[in-house]
Amino acid sequence: MKNILLILFLVPLVLLGQIDRSKKPEAQTAATINIKDSEVFTLSNGLTVILSENHKLPRVSFDLVMSGTPQVEGEKAGLSDMVSSLLLNGTTNRSKDQIDSEIDFIGASLDASENSISMSCLTKHMDKGLDIMLDVLKNVNFPESEFERVKKLMASQLINTKSDPDGMASNVEFKVNFPNHPLGDIMTETSLNAITRQDLVDYYNSIFTPNKAYLVIVGDINIEKASEVTQKYFENWSGNSAIKTAIGKGAFHSGNQVYFVKKQGAVQSAIRITFPIDMRTGDTNQVALTVMNNLLGGRGFGTRLMQNLREDKAYTYGCYSNLNITENGSWASLYGNFRNEVTDSAINEILYEIQRISENPVSAEELDLTKSTMNGSFSRSLENPQTIARFALNIIRYNLDKEYYKNYLKKLERVSVANIQEMANKYFTFQNANIIVVGSEDILDNLKKFDSDGNVTILDAFGSPLEEILPADISAEDLINNYILKVTNSANLKEASKKIKKIKSVSQKAIMTNEQFPFPINMTELWVSPNKLGRKVEAQGMVFEKFYFDGKGGAINVQGKSINLTEDEISTYAKNEGLFPEANYQKNGMMTEILGIEKVNNIPCYVLKTNTGNSEKFDYFGVEGFLKIKTIEIESKDGETVESITSYSDYKEVEGLFLPHSKIISAGGMTFSGTSTFSLNGKEKIEEFMTK
Amino acid sequence: MKNIAIVFISMLSLQGFGQRKIDFIEYDLPNGIHVILHEDKTTPIVAVSVLYHVGSKNETPDRTGFAHFFEHLLFEGSTNIGRGEYSEIVERNGGALNANTSQDRTYYYEILPSNQLELGLWLESERMLHAKVDITGIETQRSVVKEEKRQRIDNRPYASFTSEIFKRMFSNHPYNWVPIGSMEHLDAAQESDYVNFYRTFYVPQNATISIAGDINVLQAKNWINQYFGSIPSGQAINLYRDYENLEDSLFEKTYGISKSKFYSEDFMNSSDPAAKKIIGNLSKKPIAIPRTEKDFSQLSGLITDTIYDNIQSPGIFMGFKFPDQNHPDSYALDMMNEVLSGGSSSRINKSLVEKMELATFAYAFNYGLEDAGAGLFAAIASQDVELSDIQIAFDEQIKQIQAELISDEEFQKIRNQYENNLVSSNSSVAGVAENLADNYVYFGNTDRVNILLDNYLKVTKEDIQRVAQKYLTLDKRVVLYYLPKQ
Repeated sequence: MKNILLILFLVPLVLLGQIDRSKKPEAQTAATINIKDSEVFTLSNGLTVILSENHKLPRVSFDLVMSGTPQVEGEKAGLSDMVSSLLLNGTTNRSKDQIDSEIDFIGASLDASENSISMSCLTKHMDKGLDIMLDVLKNVNFPESEFERVKKLMASQLINTKSDPDGMASNVEFKVNFPNHPLGDIMTETSLNAITRQDLVDYYNSIFTPNKAYLVIVGDINIEKASEVTQKYFENWSGNSAIKTAIGKGAFHSGNQVYFVKKQGAVQSAIRITFPIDMRTGDTNQVALTVMNNLLGGRGFGTRLMQNLREDKAYTYGCYSNLNITENGSWASLYGNFRNEVTDSAINEILYEIQRISENPVSAEELDLTKSTMNGSFSRSLENPQTIARFALNIIRYNLDKEYYKNYLKKLERVSVANIQEMANKYFTFQNANIIVVGSEDILDNLKKFDSDGNVTILDAFGSPLEEILPADISAEDLINNYILKVTNSANLKEASKKIKKIKSVSQKAIMTNEQFPFPINMTELWVSPNKLGRKVEAQGMVFEKFYFDGKGGAINVQGKSINLTEDEISTYAKNEGLFPEANYQKNGMMTEILGIEKVNNIPCYVLKTNTGNSEKFDYFGVEGFLKIKTIEIESKDGETVESITSYSDYKEVEGLFLPHSKIISAGGMTFSGTSTFSLNGKEKIEEFMTK
Repeated sequence: MKNIAIVFISMLSLQGFGQRKIDFIEYDLPNGIHVILHEDKTTPIVAVSVLYHVGSKNETPDRTGFAHFFEHLLFEGSTNIGRGEYSEIVERNGGALNANTSQDRTYYYEILPSNQLELGLWLESERMLHAKVDITGIETQRSVVKEEKRQRIDNRPYASFTSEIFKRMFSNHPYNWVPIGSMEHLDAAQESDYVNFYRTFYVPQNATISIAGDINVLQAKNWINQYFGSIPSGQAINLYRDYENLEDSLFEKTYGISKSKFYSEDFMNSSDPAAKKIIGNLSKKPIAIPRTEKDFSQLSGLITDTIYDNIQSPGIFMGFKFPDQNHPDSYALDMMNEVLSGGSSSRINKSLVEKMELATFAYAFNYGLEDAGAGLFAAIASQDVELSDIQIAFDEQIKQIQAELISDEEFQKIRNQYENNLVSSNSSVAGVAENLADNYVYFGNTDRVNILLDNYLKVTKEDIQRVAQKYLTLDKRVVLYYLPKQ
């Protein structure tokens, strides 16, 4: 002890000048934000213009926002999403390419959403930019070809959703918080198909109208010029009366409700604890509630949820609480992804944290930390002129105090420890929440205890009630045999096996495309009897992947880097032998199980689960016809899971075999679809797929 | 205050062009730090940056990678900031921070709420005065930097091309190597090598502080005086560092005076006559910072080579020697590059990629540096395309821009694009702080931010043709063929 004291004494505190460098400087008082007041005027067609001058840079932006209330879309859910994707894709005067190139020439940007269009550019190019913007506004024509292209694009995005636990949880969240409400409109394959080009036109005509709309101009333009250009460009734009309807605040109920979406083979559960909030934009309590939410689970490592569920319990990489306050409905969601085994414990802890913050005061230190982090990010966000534009708009649109945003930091400073508890009590709930879990069926039983009436509601990927899974009336073996008979076009298994034996090789060449991908991908697959495989993926003349298995070993080569197959992988490929590996499952001791009958795109299918060793496979065979319609494969490697979904269709005969000529592959958030050609007993060799 | 020269920049007329003037004041502290302040009260945030005029070109050939390594090392902490606390302090106070290193400079910055300006100054002054340059930090960061090199260069196909071209293009200049440097050099270096680098380059006379945002200029100057003005000037800074770090016996051996003669509570005002004398003398002696010279030499001829890399498709990379970024021709060269490779409608993309389908990817860019520049061309071959065919196509583009003036429409498009890019580059206070510092250090003219667009818009179609003829010398260039390793 003596020695330590001695050392402490000996360390010199060297000072320079008048400051004590050993102390971190204290922050000064938070600044008031220096936002100029906006000018407001109205045009004869009902458009309210809000001008927020900012001459820092010679740029100007025009944001046109409609004020009509969003309508419930019901069986055409997703219509508004489609409008926003197609709004800039053509007018009666300009094709999409023309719009793009004219905008690029002046270095401008043009964007759209389901109820807004915005354009920004250098001030001196304003006239050109407005000319294009107004052409879109007055002459948008949703070209048929673009409509079809975007529809396809959206269909593939919907397929991706089914493998995206967070996307599924989000769909359910909107559905259960906001039933019969525009926020609860979730696009499905059926609703997408129901949307016609005429629906887009009708939607556009009813929502896009100057009546009660706002035009926010921000940037390097004065009131005289703003008045001049708005009269020139916007005043002669006309439209219907804006639809104004009362809109609900969501479904508040008593007792916790549990909703479950099954995700085959999931190793993690996506959890969302969510509830609507009785508040609209600009509420006097909004700032205090936001501070409470950020302290509980905003960004950063220091929040209650992160400290408890990540730092302390190590249940997850991240657990957060999101607060969404809008004029058309508000809600909170506390969410994260958790290992299967701790799903129920995680739900317990999240509910506990809501309870704790409602019943006990927070510490002054954590409140200060939250407030200063918010101060910082709020202040930094103001650099973007669009943030200022949003403020100017909100003040008028929601009738806020003129100084609302200028005083934001002061309001933030005033939030007290008592306010936090009050906010949690008033708006958050651990007893009347919707508890959404997307995950493996194995955890379902553990969820019942959280539901106030013990009934877990099971939903599909889009938050609709799941059609019941019927028990299958066939054994796994019979199912596989029927499938083999069908694809080999045989009357009995003997004939089938004879036919298969005659086939020495099958080569499949597929051209796969994705709307967002600039060029097609060529996939070549080769099977050589008895059990050799090759695969090559190339695009634009570049080989992305090469794979081979020669019956004993093999390697995968990705972008020039070759990795030999592991023992596990070799044994899996060895067990999956044959042109139709299902035929050999029994012989090779593969574990198969029939899960029941489920519908795939309205076609009833038998679901066959196979454990292949390092992956779980779910094959869907049509109840009628026994053809394979879909395969979901979930591979686990180094603690991570990779999921791929392949859909098969367009079965056609090729030299006595029935083979699918169309397929859609969805993996890693991307969906590719394409057509295949097959050739049997050709001269291709497996060596072509090896890396020299 | 007496010896602080305050320079007010006079208004420049910029009629016709869309650029707004950026007002600033600048002055030198007595210890040599250059200070630039730009007040912009639009948003209550402030960007605090320090540019050290040291990059990989200041390294010795057997100790490459040091400048970049220091960028990492100097987040390790200081006498008053605990290890690893730099970023935590900034984030907890609502800020963001980062740093970067080039051949010519090392740049550190924080973006903070404006009420935290003092915090930013404290953090940066700690880094300048007495950062932790010790073996623990060196070892931690050595492995971090090695991971960075693996991830960003070794593991990325073709990523070595800049270093391969520079190696051949700059045989008599330290641009011969690139900032990431050699991991062997970092391994071989001793703690004393690192300490010496810090003592040579991380000193007030080599630093430019650039602050932009919601500041009160008087208050900011006061704090800058306190935190940076108090940093000893000349060689006295290293006396101070030694006083903090060395044992008494070693200190006495070095300076011939015991540490006890110094006054720790106000070091620079130590009253002992001998200590006072040493402080006085060393303060007046500037540190000799080794500088490099501009490289005006030309390539002697065509240098071709083949590199075998972990790639699937062959690639071709070419380098032309350009003048330094301060050369009057650099503006026309930048505009020339925009014609060749600015956006998807540019000549190289249209011809090599879209029409002729020779390359999956082809572009050109200018690598402007303080002592010299390089014009680089790169393309990855489409399947079954010979690299020589790509080279011919590149050469045709070069010959065309040398032979014919560009079209009026093309000329207008690149002027519009340039204007938009330049205006946008000053949209954030962080961007303004960096532009001001760069213009002071590299061009000796902070106000160049205000006339840059003029310089570009003065370029004529004829200028573009002339520089293309002068610098895109087909017979004097580096051409590298990248082929897959067998």
